[in-house]
Amino acid sequence: MRFMGSQVKIYFIKPGLQTLVQDNGRMGQQAFGVPVGGVMDKSAARIANWLVGNDVKSPLLEIALTGPHIEFEGDCQIAIAGADISPTIDGKPVNMYQTITVNDGTELKFRALKNGCRAYLSIGGDWQIKKWLNSSSAFLLSDQNLTPDSIPVKGDHLVIEGIKNVDVKSFPPRLQPKHQSPIQIGIIPGPEFDDFSKKAVDHFLNNQHTISNDYNRMGYRLETILSDFDPKQEVISSGIVPGTIQITNSGQPIILMADAQTTGGYPRIGNVITAHMDKLAQAKPGDQIKFSLVKLEDAYQALRDNEATMNLLLK
Amino acid sequence: MDFHPYGDSAVLVNFEQKIDPQINSKVVALSKALVTSEIKGLINSIPAYCSITVTYNPLEISYSKLCEEIEKLSATSLGDQNAALRVLSIPVCYEDGYSLDWEDVEKQTGLVSTEIIEIHTKTIFQVYMLGFLPGFVYMGSLPQSIAVARKTKPRLKVPSRSVGLAGLQTGIYPSEAPGGWQIIGRTPLDIFDGHKAEPFLFQAGDSVRFKSISPESYMGIEQEIKSSNFNFDEIYG
Repeated sequence: MRFMGSQVKIYFIKPGLQTLVQDNGRMGQQAFGVPVGGVMDKSAARIANWLVGNDVKSPLLEIALTGPHIEFEGDCQIAIAGADISPTIDGKPVNMYQTITVNDGTELKFRALKNGCRAYLSIGGDWQIKKWLNSSSAFLLSDQNLTPDSIPVKGDHLVIEGIKNVDVKSFPPRLQPKHQSPIQIGIIPGPEFDDFSKKAVDHFLNNQHTISNDYNRMGYRLETILSDFDPKQEVISSGIVPGTIQITNSGQPIILMADAQTTGGYPRIGNVITAHMDKLAQAKPGDQIKFSLVKLEDAYQALRDNEATMNLLLK
Repeated sequence: MDFHPYGDSAVLVNFEQKIDPQINSKVVALSKALVTSEIKGLINSIPAYCSITVTYNPLEISYSKLCEEIEKLSATSLGDQNAALRVLSIPVCYEDGYSLDWEDVEKQTGLVSTEIIEIHTKTIFQVYMLGFLPGFVYMGSLPQSIAVARKTKPRLKVPSRSVGLAGLQTGIYPSEAPGGWQIIGRTPLDIFDGHKAEPFLFQAGDSVRFKSISPESYMGIEQEIKSSNFNFDEIYG
């Protein structure tokens, strides 16, 4: 095993379309209007961090649709999980879902998006990131740049100290998600579910819905206009959790995601079950979604099953 | 008080669905009690006008068990809802340039700006909730006489620290943002400063009174804040 230095710098020759530093977010600040944030696909991020020996809460890069071009200064271990954006190292295709050793001067690039939407790049060690409210997660606000390290632009670099050197690991190919459309998404009936007409609910549940181009980490607008929807069902604003599906006045559904506002006043037809949030995180504009109702107990069971599998594999 | 599943990791606790200071005080009291409680698996509590969103880890506690715990806690917390309420005095310059919408607001209310300012500074408001943006404060309720509809065409950029009206509510923009509230003034205080250890000036349940100040006084306070000479204790009490 070669000697690894204590510090690595990664340089963004190109940042890509949306490359952000994310961790597990800012849970606990929502009473002040701060979005939860954090990685969109929690399983993929967890696997990527595990492959390089980092804690599940460690920051890593979330790379959406188009990859960055990165140069490494120093030797380290990395891993890539989630969407397949055809990663290459020094021009050669490289496997995902396994520990990769990279050397000083290595260049990491991405090519075509093959499946999914968001790839996660972990680097074994302690990321030196300026935190805001105890989190490294990128937070975008028009007039205060509170997480300057987490939104890298061309020419920026990040520093990782305490470089780790773990035994090379891999995550079983048969368990790597394929991210195919249409996506089957389970929902729990939302707080206002009973206020929707039978016709509106049938329209929602019996059809596939297309994700529109109005799509970001705050939420996905669907192309659907719900039939027989009465916009006068006004709701006094209350708290929002990621996964909430609200219907705007025009009848258009929006699925709220990690960076969603903390309060809202549109009627909520349903909430995506937690076990399905990760595959939703890998959906992209043009993908189809089919919703089905799930019982609370079945949602818990799906979550327990996921957790048991992960605990077994990520030892 | 009733409970709704809100996905598999949150409970929506609904009080009587009405924007009302007494109901909101109960919300704030129960939400505070939840945050400091030691209910295993409880993650977070988000108070709103007349509801609380309680998030939990379903691997540690079930929906029905959590509802029971909330019910139990409400029996004790709702008794001390007036405990240690703060009253904040917020300076606002209502002059043109700081306000943007006097014309529209005067037209809608049939009052002149001086009358509206008088009502806005005499009323003691309650912070019902924070939301929309980090630190955005929703306060109420406005007397019906100065209630106004939102702008038909929202602005793409409302300046940071703008004080606005919308329906029976008044609010302050914590940072520059798009928005449709009718802007009647601006405060020199940073109601949200992300670089501070405690970034938020307000919390749900606070009482607020606005104080009309001149442009000179606005600029004076702004200078004091910039040079770290402003005494923030001035605004409490």
